[in-house]
Amino acid sequence: MVDSNQSEFRKRDLLYVLPLWLLSLILPDPHLDYRQEGRFRKRDLFYSGALLLLPIVWPNPHLHYVMILAGINAILALGLSLFLGYTGQISLGHAAFFGTGAYTTAILTTRYGFPPLVAFWASAAAAACLSYLIGRPILKLKGYFLALATLGFGEIFLVVVREAQGLTGGVIGIFGIPWFSVAGFSFDTYVKQYYLVWGVFMGLLLFCKNLIRSKMGRAFLAVAASEDAASSVGIKVAHIKLGAFVLGAAFAGFAGNLFACVISTANPEAFGLNLSVLVIMMVILGGMGNLYGPIAGAIFLTWLLDILGKYQEYSLPIYALILILLLITFPDGIGTRLNIRFLYLISYWGRKRRRERLDI
Amino acid sequence: MTPWAHIPQLLFSGITMGAIYALVGLGFVTIARASQIINFAQGEFVMLGGMITFILLKGGGMPYPLAALVAVLLVIIIGFALHIMVVYPLRKASLPILLMATLGASIFMSNTAALVFGTLPRTLPAFLGNQPLQIGGIFVTSQSLFVVGATFLLLISLYLLSHRTMTGKAMEASSTDSLGADLTGISRNLMVFLAFGVSAGMGAIAGIFITPIFYTSYCAGTLIGLKGFVAAVLGGWGKNSGAILGGFVLGVVESLSVAFIPSGYKDAVAFVMLLLILNFRPKGILGSPFIDSRRW
Repeated sequence: MVDSNQSEFRKRDLLYVLPLWLLSLILPDPHLDYRQEGRFRKRDLFYSGALLLLPIVWPNPHLHYVMILAGINAILALGLSLFLGYTGQISLGHAAFFGTGAYTTAILTTRYGFPPLVAFWASAAAAACLSYLIGRPILKLKGYFLALATLGFGEIFLVVVREAQGLTGGVIGIFGIPWFSVAGFSFDTYVKQYYLVWGVFMGLLLFCKNLIRSKMGRAFLAVAASEDAASSVGIKVAHIKLGAFVLGAAFAGFAGNLFACVISTANPEAFGLNLSVLVIMMVILGGMGNLYGPIAGAIFLTWLLDILGKYQEYSLPIYALILILLLITFPDGIGTRLNIRFLYLISYWGRKRRRERLDI
Repeated sequence: MTPWAHIPQLLFSGITMGAIYALVGLGFVTIARASQIINFAQGEFVMLGGMITFILLKGGGMPYPLAALVAVLLVIIIGFALHIMVVYPLRKASLPILLMATLGASIFMSNTAALVFGTLPRTLPAFLGNQPLQIGGIFVTSQSLFVVGATFLLLISLYLLSHRTMTGKAMEASSTDSLGADLTGISRNLMVFLAFGVSAGMGAIAGIFITPIFYTSYCAGTLIGLKGFVAAVLGGWGKNSGAILGGFVLGVVESLSVAFIPSGYKDAVAFVMLLLILNFRPKGILGSPFIDSRRW
């Protein structure tokens, strides 16, 4: 993952030293401590404390709302990170599973009166079943062809949702989805929903932390590194890919459920290609093969979209421009690139001092 | 009236649409033959071709052929710019990065077009007047006949360009064996640069052809680009003949499907065909020079 040309000294790095040092305190660093990623560290305490206290120290409803969306996006990005970041496969149809979750919730709660908790699990199950059915045939494809096939699946999903009006309400969608509630306690304010979304997220993050230290998680990394090598040590590559795909889809199902409960509508416009692109961008900008990066990417991009929303018709061109610039500047993730440069800088200075001492 | 009565009419409109898909698919193949890159912004060239011609014709008051020519040249320049600003800096990046970058460029182009040209759907007058001709039992617009004829001329010239000139051969060489191309003194970056120009030009021509038949709006490019890509995969990825065959097959099947299923599902037909072909014969109808030898 690390380019060889990154180990050269560049003068412009001297400009980065201070921001790099500050960032390296909080940014995830996959290349240094990926072995400890599954363990609980002091940094985790800092992250979770910050998330817990945020709505209390900054009581701004708009902030809470954006952070709810960021939490939903973070769940999506976490799921895709298993498939794209760890297993190294690309999917442009992730929004379809998100949509499946949202529509399952909408239909179960508004038409059949199921409690939201049942819909919560049913959404993940529906998304996982759908992803299993679609993943079996298409996961033998690689690279661009996998991207194209998943993209085609996403488009078919959108067309079906728009046209099957009896089931999904067509272009207008489904309204009046009830708030999420557990045993009579209703999550009816932004603050409560904030804790709900980030609570679910924490649970899924713990699951992922354990998963990537398990046999299956190690197999994900092996498949990403080389499919031939992985199969030569007895890893069933097709099973592993399918497992990552189904898990990612189940996460998207959870996210879809929370989204439907927060927004209280399900509408096909929200589940298009743009969302899939956004989620992939979160994973790429956060850094592949790393759990914290996609979260940072999700929070960053959700805020970016919210800030750009002020500029109305200019927002999307500026957004696309920023994405392209970020991709060109940080092709292997913002945190990854900055941390590598920072580490290199330290080691360069260390070597320089040693050279001077030895008087070579 | 039974669905069968519409078949000849639908067949003809399918062939017209197929010619457009073939042109868009060839745009993808031209770039892939030079560099294995897939440019997801290809559909935006189609949209820009139609939109810029409309603006030059209505706003600039240019005569039709001149407006079309200027539009094609402008889109070719945009294609070059896309290569210089997005694809060239990322030439060593991994697949998802490049994919996202071209998709980002696509979002940028379509939304900038919405800002510059407005969000209203636009249409152009037909090249040769609007009277439909009646041939046998079916009505044929002169525009459709012109599109099919001109597409064949373009296909022939593209064939000559890619198989009979030194540049075309060099383009193919830089894709099939990069080290060999370097050793024989072919500049691979230049070849990709040229391929982007050719592909943008073909996209723009497809856009100018299609705008009199269908309305073009700022968001129309994405879907038509994707269907062009589906056509190229359907016929055999990486082959010019494959893109042409795939384009016509896709156009005809999509058009005929309207007779049998609700027309709202028409857009899904292309992608269902894509999933079927990728599952049962990933090489495509005519076979692909890329798929067996490389890890795609």
